[in-house]
Amino acid sequence: MLEINLNKTPLRWLYLLNVLIILGSILLCCILLLLRLPGLELFGVSPNWLLIWVVVWSVKRSVWRGAVAGIALGLIHDALTSPHPSHVLSLALVGILTASLRKQRYAREDFIIIALIVFVMVIVTETILALQFSLTFINPLENIRQYYQYRILSSATISSIWAPVLYYPLNIWWENLQKIERSKTKLGKTKIKGK
Amino acid sequence: MYRWWDKYGWKTTLTILALSVAWLLKQTQATAIAETYYFLVSPFQSQQQLLLENKLTNARILQLEQRLNELEQQNKQFKELLDYAAAQPRSAITAPIIGRSADIWWNQITLGKGSKDGVAKGFIVNGIGGVIGRIIQVTPHTSRALLISDPHSRVGAVVTRTRHPGFIQGKNSQTAVMHFFTQVVDVRAGDTITTSSLSYLYPAGLPIGQVKSVNFEKGPAPEAEIELNVPIDLLEWVVIQPFSPKVEIK
Repeated sequence: MLEINLNKTPLRWLYLLNVLIILGSILLCCILLLLRLPGLELFGVSPNWLLIWVVVWSVKRSVWRGAVAGIALGLIHDALTSPHPSHVLSLALVGILTASLRKQRYAREDFIIIALIVFVMVIVTETILALQFSLTFINPLENIRQYYQYRILSSATISSIWAPVLYYPLNIWWENLQKIERSKTKLGKTKIKGK
Repeated sequence: MYRWWDKYGWKTTLTILALSVAWLLKQTQATAIAETYYFLVSPFQSQQQLLLENKLTNARILQLEQRLNELEQQNKQFKELLDYAAAQPRSAITAPIIGRSADIWWNQITLGKGSKDGVAKGFIVNGIGGVIGRIIQVTPHTSRALLISDPHSRVGAVVTRTRHPGFIQGKNSQTAVMHFFTQVVDVRAGDTITTSSLSYLYPAGLPIGQVKSVNFEKGPAPEAEIELNVPIDLLEWVVIQPFSPKVEIK
C-alpha cells in the first residue's frame, strides 16, 4: 500500500523525506535518552538509543557509512553528556563492526540478530569507555567498578529489548526506498535505451 | 577530476555535512537538542500534578525560607555586631527536573529553567533535605546539573560534630564516599556531613548526608560511606541557589 503511493512520487521528494526521517529519528533518540519512562528503564538505566540507531543504520550499509554515522552520533552523545572521555571512538567502532558483520547467512531472524548485535555492542562500547576513563582519570574508579558492571549489564539488556522498536520502522522504510530507487533507475535506463 | 566528482561527489558532501553538523552540535553542547526537548516535553507534564507538587514544595520551601530568614536575621545582627560585611543574598529559583543523565557514566539532571530565568553556570542545586549538585551548562530554557552523587564530582566536606575535613566522591545514586585528609579522624555512624568552607565550588554549611559506616582500615586515610539526605531519584523539583564559585568555571 505504502509502496504503491510512494512509487508515484518523484525520487527527489523521497530523498528529502529520507533526510527528514533520518534527522527526526536521531532527534527522537536524543529525546528518549533524557527521558525516564516506566518500562523504558531497568534499575534506573535507560536504553542507549544512539547506539541502537548506529547499529540499525550500519547493519545493511558499508563500513565507511557506518563509521561516519558512529562519529556523528558520538559527537552528539558527547554534547548531551560530557566530552571527556569522548563517545566518538566507541560509536565509530560500533558502526564499523556492525557493518562488517556477515549477516547474509541468517537474514531471516532479523529481530533476534539485531537484539544480539546491540547487546554485544553495548558491552563493547562501555568497555571502551571504561578503558578511556581509567586512562584519563587520576583516581581510577576503583571502588565503583562493581556498580558499573551492574549498570553496563542493565544497559545491554534494556537496549537489546528495545532495539527492534527502532529497527522495524526504519528498516521497512529503507528497504522500500531501495526497491523504488532500483525500479526507477531501471525504468530510466530502459527509457534511454528505447530512445 | 570530474569523473571522481560524479562518482563520489554526493557521498563526500553528505559525509562532510553530517560530520560538521554533529561537530557544531557538540561545540554548542547540544543547545538545539535541549531546547527542542524542552518544548516537546513541557506539554506532557501533567499540570495538575505539577501544581500540587509545586504547592507542596512551595509550602516546605516557605517554611524553610522563613526559618532561614529568621536565622539570617539573627546572623545578620550578630555579624553587624562583629562589624562584618556580607554580600546581599539573591533570591532562589524553583525548577522542575525534566530529564535525567543520557548515559550510564554520568549522574546528571536536566532542569526546566535556563538563562531566561536567571540561571547561570556554577549555581547550586538544592533538593528537599540538602544540596544535590551544581549547574554545569545553561541554555535559554534548560540547564544541566552535575550531581554530587556522580563519581567524577568532588565536593569539599566536613564532619559537623568534629570539623574534620575531607572530600566527597559520588558512588551511586544514593550514596557517596567521603575521603579524609588525615589518618586520625573522629567520625562515627550517624554523624552529619556538610559542605566545607574550603570548597571552591559550593558555599559552606549546606547539608549533604549522614555517615552510614566508616572504614578505618583504608589507607592512606580512613573512608566513610555517606548516605545522601536527598532522594535524588524520586525528586521532581529542585531549588537553584545563586552562587559565584571561587574558581572560574570553563
